[in-house]
Amino acid sequence: MAFALPIDGTANKKIKVTASLFMGLAHILFLRDRLKGALFALTELAFLLLSPSIIRKIVQLVTLGSPQPDLPIKMRDNSIFMLIDGILILAVLAIFAIVYALSVKSAEGTYREYCRKKDYPSQSNSLNTLFGKAFPIFGLAPSFILILVFVAVPLLFSICVAFTNYSAPANIPPNNTVDWVGLDNFKALLGGEASWSGGFARVATWTLTWAVAATITCYFGGLFVAVLLKETNLRISPLFRIIFLLPYAVPSVVSMLVWRNLLNGTFGTVNRTLMTLGLIHNPIPWLGNPVLAQITCVLVNLWAGFGYFMLLSLGTMTAVSQDIFEAARIDGASKFQVLRRITLPLVLYQTTPLIIMSFTHNINNFGAIFFLTGGNPTVPDSTTTSAGGTDILVTWIYKLTITLLKYNYASVIAVMIFLVLAPFAIFNFRRTKAYKEGEL
Amino acid sequence: MISHRSAETCNKIVITIFFVIISLFVIYPLVYVVSAAFSPGNGIASVNIVPFADGFTVKHFTYIFTGTEYGQWFVNTLIVALSTSVSTIVIASLGSYVFSRFRFTFKKSMLMSLLVLQIFPSFVGMVAIYVILLRIGGLDTLWGLVLVYVAGNIPYNTWLVKNYMDTVSKNLDEAARIDGAGHFRIYATIILPVARPIIAFLGITSFTAPWMDYIFPKMVLRSVDKQTLALGLFSFVTDKKNEFTNFAAGSLIVAIPFIAFFILTQKSMITSFGGAAVKE
Repeated sequence: MAFALPIDGTANKKIKVTASLFMGLAHILFLRDRLKGALFALTELAFLLLSPSIIRKIVQLVTLGSPQPDLPIKMRDNSIFMLIDGILILAVLAIFAIVYALSVKSAEGTYREYCRKKDYPSQSNSLNTLFGKAFPIFGLAPSFILILVFVAVPLLFSICVAFTNYSAPANIPPNNTVDWVGLDNFKALLGGEASWSGGFARVATWTLTWAVAATITCYFGGLFVAVLLKETNLRISPLFRIIFLLPYAVPSVVSMLVWRNLLNGTFGTVNRTLMTLGLIHNPIPWLGNPVLAQITCVLVNLWAGFGYFMLLSLGTMTAVSQDIFEAARIDGASKFQVLRRITLPLVLYQTTPLIIMSFTHNINNFGAIFFLTGGNPTVPDSTTTSAGGTDILVTWIYKLTITLLKYNYASVIAVMIFLVLAPFAIFNFRRTKAYKEGEL
Repeated sequence: MISHRSAETCNKIVITIFFVIISLFVIYPLVYVVSAAFSPGNGIASVNIVPFADGFTVKHFTYIFTGTEYGQWFVNTLIVALSTSVSTIVIASLGSYVFSRFRFTFKKSMLMSLLVLQIFPSFVGMVAIYVILLRIGGLDTLWGLVLVYVAGNIPYNTWLVKNYMDTVSKNLDEAARIDGAGHFRIYATIILPVARPIIAFLGITSFTAPWMDYIFPKMVLRSVDKQTLALGLFSFVTDKKNEFTNFAAGSLIVAIPFIAFFILTQKSMITSFGGAAVKE
């Protein structure tokens, strides 16, 4: 059955064509690598057997089902199941294509080996290399499957939903179907419907303001305290350090809910204390007035977050080599000069990536807003958009999904967040050592 | 000389006073929670504005363990946190080992996609995760929640651990390979012990996260006896009712281990954070 192959490499094209024709064909026909060939062939066979249902799923992904008001609810087309299944099938198709490409590559590789050794690979040898090569596959398989099912597919799903009308009240499966609507949602949020686009602009502006303000206050607050701690070197400094670190150690659910109660406008402890002391006569609406609530958010976040940056700055300052300070002192630099010209620039330079990380973290800082204010107080457009005066984009996404069931708008916002954050991630990626040294 | 020294002393006093003021602000809410947990009142309105001025009772602690499912919530959270931590360590370290020590097709694009995937906060895909869990029967189960957490942890942490393993010399595994050790032996007996610091970091961060998360438990867990602590604590102080003292008692039990851990490890955290920032 097997044909003798020329050993000068001229049969490469023949191998490539045969391998591309049917997975594993070249392994079986020419390369006497029947085990591997059989595995590949079985994969393709299984794929071909399943192809009718694969095609059906893909058709459903395109149509998303049709409305069937006369059928009982359970038997109607469920567009959302169709969407998710379709995306999963597309992922499987992609994997199949990759395996196909690998099988052709493997056939070519085996042929090169054959030309070099002038003999067919022995079966036991092939089995051995198969196990050796299989280790990376087994090692990566759990990560790969989990990421595919619970990270990649949900993300693709969200991106797809941004282009559908999946929203209450008219398009919620299983009662009704969902349809593709192109860029309609983007248009609505970016200027089509006045209250929605107005709300979106307001929330987006506040999200950016919040992220910048929260990062800067925490960073410089932490740096300031760290410098003071380091420079004055009090005997009880370690005690202060522990105290300043306490808010960072408390789970944010707990600390934010505590602040929410302390700052409550009518019966909160802060107002009652200030009134008892006679400092104020009417309660201050800490969380009731939109602007004041925003300021409160930043301040409470400073309370919770400056300890972390103090820790980071102390860490970098400790890591700076003592030689530089020694040299500066010999040159007659004053304490203040050393601080301004050496310590601060070094700490600033080394913590820059952490500032960026903290900025992206704050854009997505669900807990700091949701537990403290719940996005409240309400502002004029809250009745339609459900977004309150302190809602940031992620808490708004949460509200749109859980209370309003406007999945389409929630997905559009998620896509926008991604577009804003992706450059930062790529920036941090390009800074990594592996990237710079060209290992990737 | 004397004036210089007295100026310094004066400076120190000013800074100490400054630190004391900050400390008061920092400690005030925390002290207030402790006092509220032992105060006889119920809502925040009934708790005296002066901490510890209401008298002392442990009835809130007895109440949360007998009148609510607090004990069950604690156990649930512990189970979720432990399983998430262990699974994340095993899966992420195995993947990192493969990425660090093997060359294969699509390696570069896989690493790149890990980085892109971790930009998204994982609850962006909330609806899809809900439907997928519904279809595999993972709704209202703790393992469903663990799956979601582990999957969300993997992209960034694989990247982190891979970078660490890259710095470990390859001579060690070369020597072991010559002695006839297989890939798995090398991973388990050589790479894992050397990578212990980063594995510990991974274990701690993935253990603490479930204690504070609210969104996913809220979505996945429906029955009262399946909930986690964040959900339970939140239910004490909703807009409809305010049981601040019960909330304070419950919070205290969770927060104390966290605070103790931080105080014990803060010295080593300063050096490791510093090291992490200086490297790269």
